[in-house]
Amino acid sequence: MVCSEEKHPSPRRRFLANGIKALAGLFGLGLGIPLAGFFLSPALKKSRADWIEIADLGQLRQGEPSKITYRYVRKDGWRMSEARRMAFVVRQDDGKLVALTNRCTHLGCGVDWNSATQRFTCPCHGGAFDAQGRVLEGPPPEPLAQLAVKVEADKIFIRDA
Amino acid sequence: MSRVYKFLDERLNLTPLIRSIADHEVPEHADPSKHVSAFMYCFGGIAFFILLLQALTGVFLMLYYVPSPEDAYASVNYIENETAFGGFIRGIHRVGTTAAVVMVSLHMLRVVLTGSYRKPRELNWIAGIFLLLLVAGSCFTGYLLPWDQKAYWATTVGVNMVASIPLAGGFLADALRGGSEVGALTLVRFFVIHVMFLPAFLVIFLAAHFFMVRRQGISRPL
Repeated sequence: MVCSEEKHPSPRRRFLANGIKALAGLFGLGLGIPLAGFFLSPALKKSRADWIEIADLGQLRQGEPSKITYRYVRKDGWRMSEARRMAFVVRQDDGKLVALTNRCTHLGCGVDWNSATQRFTCPCHGGAFDAQGRVLEGPPPEPLAQLAVKVEADKIFIRDA
Repeated sequence: MSRVYKFLDERLNLTPLIRSIADHEVPEHADPSKHVSAFMYCFGGIAFFILLLQALTGVFLMLYYVPSPEDAYASVNYIENETAFGGFIRGIHRVGTTAAVVMVSLHMLRVVLTGSYRKPRELNWIAGIFLLLLVAGSCFTGYLLPWDQKAYWATTVGVNMVASIPLAGGFLADALRGGSEVGALTLVRFFVIHVMFLPAFLVIFLAAHFFMVRRQGISRPL
């Protein structure tokens, strides 16, 4: 037993004790960091959505938003499922394309384009947006959400912004 | 750290408790710093350490693993390729399996070589045999979980060995598979056996194993 030494341990003993602590700490970190990273990985991962091809340029209607329904592969962890979604594509005055989701920013109902009144109307609480997605009236707090758009070889691609 | 300990010790009087658990002199014949050959007395401790690693990595793997035929392979694939450190953690668990079997075997070999299984330690030898079977059972049940071809056929072959037991074999094999074929029920069963039943018995037998070592001391070589 080393009781007599306990109050003032010899330098050698202290060195060994510290060495063991350092080793244990190294091992703890080497294991703890990967385990924590593994646990947190879904929260840390910036998963960029893939570009989804939704239509040909020629399919766009002139002067007003075109409703486009498209299929895409939805990733949920390790599960892949096919889902359908809807978006509106509008050509702005300067020729640039804007893609809008059809989710009303109030409570998420599906808005639709009304050609007669030239506005998006929401069936739930009477929200209305103009062709660029800006709020015209009703409860929606902000404009319709935009999706990233690009055109390659006359095909329109979108992606969650 | 020492202040935290002092705070707790003042209130809970921990020191005698820790002394009785952790503060014991290593007998000379089992001290590698005195006899190099005494390193073989470390095998059991290393085996235990590996089992702790297996438990730790296993719990974390359960964050992503799903024991169903539709999801099992995809979830293992997800662990390997889409989580941070997933390959590393699953790697520890996978290699740790082999390491555990190696260390348990070496530990057993040491016990045989030093004759430590003899009176008065027969009961601890028996507890050790149970531990060996529990480790082997963990290897066997864990092997099915990735649900790939190797897993499927290894389990098919393994359960067929059980089926070759006279009289009770067919029944035992069906009980193990949860039916007459390796399928969804087998996968869930093996998963639950792997993460609940076997670990529970491992804890019980390890506790008994260590209790007996502490009561009887480390055996002297022949």
